[in-house]
Amino acid sequence: MSLAIEAESVVKIFGSIHALDGLSFYVKPREIFGLIGPNGAGKTTALRIVSTLLKPTSGSVKVLGRDVVNQASEIRGLISYLPEEAGAYKNLSGYEYLEFMAKFTIEDKQLIRETVEVAAKISGLEERLKDKVKTYSKGMKRRLLVARALMTKPKLAVLDEPTSGLDVLHSVHVRGIIKQYVEKEGVTVLLSSHNMLEVEHLCDKVALINKGKIVAEGSPAELKKNANASNLEEVFAKVVGFV
Amino acid sequence: MFKDLFNIIVKEVKELVRDPTLILGMIIVPLILFPLMGFAMQTSMKTAEESMRNISIAVIDLDRGSVAENLTTFLITLNVRIVEVDDLNLTEAVNYVQQSNLTGLIVIPSDFSNNITEGSKAELDVYTVFRGGGIAESTSSSVISALLETFEERLVFQKIGEKFPEDPETVLDPIKTSEKSIIKGKSVDVNPGVLFGLMMSQSIGMPIGIMMLLMFAMQLAATSVASEKEEKTLETLLTLPINRFTILAGKLTGSMIIAVIGAIAYIVGFTYYMSSFMGMMPAEIGVDLAAIGLAPTPISYLLLGVSLFVSLISALALAVSISIFAEDVRGAQALVGPLTMLLIFPMIFMMFTDIYALPLPLMIGLLAIPFTHPMLASKVAFTGDYLTAVIGIVYVSIFTIAVLYIAARLFGTEKILTAKLKFKWLRRRRRMPAEEP
Repeated sequence: MSLAIEAESVVKIFGSIHALDGLSFYVKPREIFGLIGPNGAGKTTALRIVSTLLKPTSGSVKVLGRDVVNQASEIRGLISYLPEEAGAYKNLSGYEYLEFMAKFTIEDKQLIRETVEVAAKISGLEERLKDKVKTYSKGMKRRLLVARALMTKPKLAVLDEPTSGLDVLHSVHVRGIIKQYVEKEGVTVLLSSHNMLEVEHLCDKVALINKGKIVAEGSPAELKKNANASNLEEVFAKVVGFV
Repeated sequence: MFKDLFNIIVKEVKELVRDPTLILGMIIVPLILFPLMGFAMQTSMKTAEESMRNISIAVIDLDRGSVAENLTTFLITLNVRIVEVDDLNLTEAVNYVQQSNLTGLIVIPSDFSNNITEGSKAELDVYTVFRGGGIAESTSSSVISALLETFEERLVFQKIGEKFPEDPETVLDPIKTSEKSIIKGKSVDVNPGVLFGLMMSQSIGMPIGIMMLLMFAMQLAATSVASEKEEKTLETLLTLPINRFTILAGKLTGSMIIAVIGAIAYIVGFTYYMSSFMGMMPAEIGVDLAAIGLAPTPISYLLLGVSLFVSLISALALAVSISIFAEDVRGAQALVGPLTMLLIFPMIFMMFTDIYALPLPLMIGLLAIPFTHPMLASKVAFTGDYLTAVIGIVYVSIFTIAVLYIAARLFGTEKILTAKLKFKWLRRRRRMPAEEP
């Protein structure tokens, strides 16, 4: 079975900053893969390269068997990317925003309506979807964006901090939706998070990233066992030599 | 591709139209501000007119001679209210004029009539009250000297009439000139002064309209890209299965639609403003521009339209290319701001001079600015110099293609996310948190 993501020795340099320094990881189809690490570790850069926004300085990344440099437009038709600090068009209503986004991947008008209805359910925003996005709270905006990222049932969803800004109940709801999409729709998920509890409960496989390199990789249970730690936070602290 | 393009254009227009600051600044303000300015101008001009009708002048007549008497009678026949203050000295009279809200004071010296009768130069002292610098004040102050000049002409006419009783008018004005214009090598029976007056409205109005349109378009296009960065929607948009050039074209078209609407609002408002002046002026002598070959033909309209269109695209592409380097809307506007100089310079030169009469380096400099050409086209549209318009269109088209290519290249690469121009003063104003690499 071919891999959903194959990242081999990826280097990304911005001026004098080495954001990624020989990063390699592999994600299987229908897997929830988590990238965790401190601020500035290179998580967002890795996610942006997988999403075809940035090109690697060296190394190679294949998404669903396609090269991110030479087959970027093909990849864009198969994936969905949710940036960490993403916004939505403030003068459009929630419905208009979802419809605008759906039209790029779906031709049929009826299917577009159905997709938007699916997104409405995922977001749980109901009647508020008729209001302009600028009237939404931070949490409501995030729910709208998560719904946008998942509504088209992409082959790969790249989610940068999917529950950032959400309260406990909505975080649980979103995590449930992600699990459900993987199980029922066969979506593969690559996500980054600061929330170790979230990663532990949600991800099949986790890679710890520090200074642009993977420093440990495995299932949450394996990582905890290998590091003789009770949770992922402890694993991470031990691996990077913080304790 | 067209479906995606249409989707983006609709989104752009919706976003822009629903932006209250934009609607206020681009459509409502010109439609309200210009007519209000026109109203204010009309009111002040009417006040000036009325103050001219109510001229009151104090007179100290130290002469009491026949010519002095003629002068006061003459002023009274012209509805000027004369207040005789012979019993006051100069200081008292000046004070009285100021306090009684009179227009001014004329002091007729004792030898006034005698000097005029004997053919010597007579003197008059005229004091006008200075109350402020408005139009009403300037007209009321000049009205006294205008009245005295008319009286002087009467005196001259009388004197000439005494020596040449048959036809004093011919003596005074011995040459009759009949002014005609030469247009495209043909003599036309129209006074060139009248013709220039008529053409002035075109040479002022069109460059202003074109500058407004291009300036709006640039600001809109820059805002459109920068707000995607500021609102953090750009990253999502760039990962969608859409051609990057389609995104660029959608943004350019959306901005163009709104810019045209904004420019129409400005032109409507500005026309009303100008008409408030024109209404005050005496009616022009009827001149049929079409009959003398100075009306724009369908070809000149077409050339003007094409010239304007390519310039609009180049302005939009230029603004987009530059705004790619901004992090937010304020940064984009700061970057695009200096570009408006490229619109203002040609506009000023087009309004007041003939570009070909300028020193060569200045002329080349102006012609190198692409936005000079639609303004030039609007001028040559009336004279039928199609070649100049066509050369301009070709030049601007080449410039546009080059800028579009650069904009498309920047849009197609990661530069759109990573390119940043940093200014010390901008950094001081915004203390943006450092982005995770």
